[in-house]
Amino acid sequence: MSSKADTKGIDTRLLGRIVSYLMPYKGWVFLAFITVMTAAYLDPLVPKLVQVTIDREIVNRDMDGLRRMIGILFALLAAEGFLSFVNAYLTQWIGQQAIFDLRTKLYRHVQRQSLRFFDSRPIGQLITRVTSDVESLSQVLSAGVVTILGDFFKLIFIAWFMFVLDWRLALVTISVMPIMIYATFWFKRRVRDAYRDTRKQVARLNSFLQEHVMGMRIVQLFGREDEEMRRFTGINDDHQQAHIRTIFYFALFWPMVDLVASAALGLIIWYGGLSAMQGGVTIGVLIAFIQYARRFFEPIRNLSDQFNTLQSAMAGAERIFGLLDTDMSIPETDEPAEWPRVEGRIEFEGVWFSYDPDVDPTDDTAAWILKDVSFTVQPGHSLAIVGATGAGKTTIINLLLRFYDIQRGQIRVDGVDITHLPLSVLRHHVGLVLQDVFLFSGTVRDNVTLRNGDLDDETIRRAADAIGASTFIDRLSKGFDQDVRERGMTLSHGQRQLLSFLRALVHDPKILVLDEATSSVDTETEEVIQRALTTLMKGRTSIAIAHRLSTVQHADQILVMHRGQVRERGTHQQLIASDGLYRRLYELQYKEQEAA
Amino acid sequence: MHPLRRLNTYYWRYRRLFIPGLLCAVASAVFSIIVPMVVRQAIDSVPRFVATYRAFQGTQLESFVYADAFATLAVFGTIILLLSLGSGLFSFLMRQTIVVASRHIEFDLRNQLYGKLQALSHDFYLKHATGDLITRSTSDIEHVRRYIGPAIMYTTRALVVILTALSVMFWISPKLTWYTLIPMPFLAVSVFFVARMVHVRSDELQQQYSSLTSRVQEALSGIRVLKAYVREESEAVAFDAESSDYRARSLKLAMVEAAWRPVFVTLVGASTLIVVWVGGSLTMTGEITIGNIAEYIIYVALMTWPVAAVGFVITMIQRASASMIRLNEVFDAQPSIPFEPHTEYTPAIEGRITFRNACFRHADREEKALDDISFDVPAGSTLAIVGRTGSGKTTLVEMIPRLLDVQEGVVEIDGKDIREWPLETVRTAIGYVPQDVFLFSDTVAANIAFGQMEAAVAEVEEAAREADLLENIVDFREGFETMVGERGITLSGGQKQRTSIARALIRRPRILILDDALSAVDVNTERTILGHLRSHFGQRTVIIVSHRVSAVQDADQIIVLDEGRIIERGTHAELVERKGFYAALHHKQQLEQEVEAFH
Repeated sequence: MSSKADTKGIDTRLLGRIVSYLMPYKGWVFLAFITVMTAAYLDPLVPKLVQVTIDREIVNRDMDGLRRMIGILFALLAAEGFLSFVNAYLTQWIGQQAIFDLRTKLYRHVQRQSLRFFDSRPIGQLITRVTSDVESLSQVLSAGVVTILGDFFKLIFIAWFMFVLDWRLALVTISVMPIMIYATFWFKRRVRDAYRDTRKQVARLNSFLQEHVMGMRIVQLFGREDEEMRRFTGINDDHQQAHIRTIFYFALFWPMVDLVASAALGLIIWYGGLSAMQGGVTIGVLIAFIQYARRFFEPIRNLSDQFNTLQSAMAGAERIFGLLDTDMSIPETDEPAEWPRVEGRIEFEGVWFSYDPDVDPTDDTAAWILKDVSFTVQPGHSLAIVGATGAGKTTIINLLLRFYDIQRGQIRVDGVDITHLPLSVLRHHVGLVLQDVFLFSGTVRDNVTLRNGDLDDETIRRAADAIGASTFIDRLSKGFDQDVRERGMTLSHGQRQLLSFLRALVHDPKILVLDEATSSVDTETEEVIQRALTTLMKGRTSIAIAHRLSTVQHADQILVMHRGQVRERGTHQQLIASDGLYRRLYELQYKEQEAA
Repeated sequence: MHPLRRLNTYYWRYRRLFIPGLLCAVASAVFSIIVPMVVRQAIDSVPRFVATYRAFQGTQLESFVYADAFATLAVFGTIILLLSLGSGLFSFLMRQTIVVASRHIEFDLRNQLYGKLQALSHDFYLKHATGDLITRSTSDIEHVRRYIGPAIMYTTRALVVILTALSVMFWISPKLTWYTLIPMPFLAVSVFFVARMVHVRSDELQQQYSSLTSRVQEALSGIRVLKAYVREESEAVAFDAESSDYRARSLKLAMVEAAWRPVFVTLVGASTLIVVWVGGSLTMTGEITIGNIAEYIIYVALMTWPVAAVGFVITMIQRASASMIRLNEVFDAQPSIPFEPHTEYTPAIEGRITFRNACFRHADREEKALDDISFDVPAGSTLAIVGRTGSGKTTLVEMIPRLLDVQEGVVEIDGKDIREWPLETVRTAIGYVPQDVFLFSDTVAANIAFGQMEAAVAEVEEAAREADLLENIVDFREGFETMVGERGITLSGGQKQRTSIARALIRRPRILILDDALSAVDVNTERTILGHLRSHFGQRTVIIVSHRVSAVQDADQIIVLDEGRIIERGTHAELVERKGFYAALHHKQQLEQEVEAFH
């Protein structure tokens, strides 16, 4: 991707889209522009005034005049210094605002996407977009446009001052510029290629180190020290050679710049000296040109830098906008339906679902994960879903929370189609308890409330007491304020589960969705969890992917899933009596818990 | 001893580059210092030519005088060009020697560091995070390199330029020189402070960048929870706060970076103006010429960078010292289990393993990981170890290849204390399959042959067959040459585990250790692999750690560990009879197998 952007130069439409992020700050951009232009004018003004001073005051031995001119010059210098400070800071300020806007917008966009989006993209890639790709635009958005214009005008002002002083001498001085421009761009191109190679070698070296430090035990156990040392030396040497190649270009570039500048100086001395003899040019003018010749190179170098920055930013911009232009979020309804009384009735009616978004809804033989699944859970009742891995149990949960939209059928809560409800309303009333408790960094409290400020300490405390989680939380050295990622802080499996129950309980949903943990815990913990679950499920409709005997035994209804279809349904007693799939599952999977 | 003293040996090693390099730095500086003198000569010659020209105007000599001026000025111009050529040539050579030498030293340092890392034992890696060690071998070495190369180069050049320029300037006019120099110390000091603040603030910015990244990482990893609890908005607000903090720190950095240009513009500009002011006054009294003013203006320009370099170099040295201290920590670390090569006098290992009252406690723990462990595994027999997570199984098997050493008691191989065997002899005799599979980003073949360098293709295939991996590999498009890891295909957990087993098997080891190495393969595959292993029974000592009864039931002896102690030992039949931990495990897994059979 980067090579593509490298070769095609600057895409103006893409650039326009980047620059559009500066629009909210156009007043500040304008101010930055004014300061950069003023500084660009003041910079060549100083040598001009020095020339005037030499030719008028110094040659005429006007001491007071000299003092006055020097005073003006110092004022100019101070003004230029001040302006360039303001400008440098202001451009960064604008750039950082725009970067902030872009980053937060991109983040919100990513977060809004449905799980379908996350299924197909590695998280690492998304992180790169939000962090380093956005960062790559910062140069363009901050210094970029303003600085390019500033440097460009600086060139023009310097040329203008030179021509006004003496147009023939100006032409002579500028005659070396094409060499300079050519040398600069040649150098930049070579260095860019060399740098690309260097970066590759650095990455190679780093990944070798990363891998071998992580797998050092293996290297040592298998006695590969000598061989790996040999390979490392090889990679290290390639890395060294790549750097030595860039040294060559730098070693060549700086003397080149100096040489061209000296050529300009030599020409000024020779041609300027001759003109001076014939009275065309004063000594002051000569001295001014000596200074201009030096100043002329800086903007050229900066411009070539900026050009490269622009090019590399394009690659990042393309990826960012590509992401912004992809929208796989769950569509929110325009006319949300009322959910008048939240009671908690759940209905699945002829639900067909596939993770493949392009599946043909009418094709019954396609790769369906769920095939014609229907069931109803009455308010306050509990449903246990059992079945083997891959039977479609988790999918049912995902669909109820509308992490995905179904292709056929309807899912209703209290009679309302869930696609007619705003997502936030639906999810507000459905509490999810996952078997792998995902702990965010932060305190125990943060993990329970998920930083929901509406939940006060008393609510949390009451819930923790009710669920029996207070005992272990109080034992933590900082209680609810304990950081869960702190070193040495390890929560047992049972404790982590209690935390996720607590998380659900404080959010007080009408419908509870449980993905029970498979891993066994000791009897004591099991009892605590059992009691907690009973408390949690009281007065709520619940759907559980059951791994516990007690869950299936106490469920009002059990759904036996097999290969995406409902095979059997009924209560524990009914299903045991009917001697089908459930009975065997029970014997093999749950009966043992009874024995224990 | 100053941390950077360690580098002296390297300077000596590359003296053939450093000495000519420093001489080139001197030569380059001298050439560039002569340029302003030529400019002064040229400018001062102009009024003389004008006077002569006017005197001879209208006479026959007019054209002769003009030609003389033409030639003289052309010579001045050419001399300037030649001087610059000379200076450029030497500056080119200077970089090509000194900076290249710094890269050589970097290369040596990094090799030395990696070599040291390979020699250090397991306990060192428990104390140091991977990321930390990577930083040391990359950016810390880079900081040191900048001190070695650029810092020394700049210092030399700066010294020569400043000293030469100053002597010439003082010789011309001490008074003007003193005045011109006034802003210079300010320049050096400002550069030093700005550079240091830039470093401090970029480090702070970098920290916030990591924090921002981990925030995104976490939110996206837990996206299901966030969505289920409708926390998107509050998470987005939290992300805004991180972004905003990042912006604030960027701007703090921008504030100091914005100071660069004003510092240079005003201080260098001030020097130039002082030259014009004081120099102008001096020309009025005739103490100096106008040409001297031009000369001084160029001197000021020439001295700017060297003076600023003083400020840079000081920060470079500070950073390099800090980095070198971190590097020295690694260089000075001693391996707790030092490498000893295999010698021809060492007898071959038969494979008998004996633990006598072995105890071990991890550094940061109170309770013992292994407590009074004793057993004897005759050469060629099989020992199985079962027990809960955290019961000490892995710690126990890590004693055998000496990843760890016992603190009390003794571990013996063939009746001799393991610490009396050369480390290489012990490790060569062992094929180890660790619990966490670690493969390198290389081909499948290379990963298997990692266990046995110079293994023939047939041997790699045989090892893959024994690990029941051959069929999978044949299915890969590039077969054994398929890359695994980031740059290649992602192997499934079971495939990885089997590759790791093949890597151990290709060694044809006297002692094979399988630390829960079959957890990610299904029961059928496990049976196949165990069947292959069984064909070597009698010739190979096997230590097998597992959660599955099916994997351990044929072992000659089974020990059950709990909290670092052996709570049961015997054969499968004996242990089932005892109705203890092992029997319960056995019962449970029988049921599980039936469930799997059902589906």
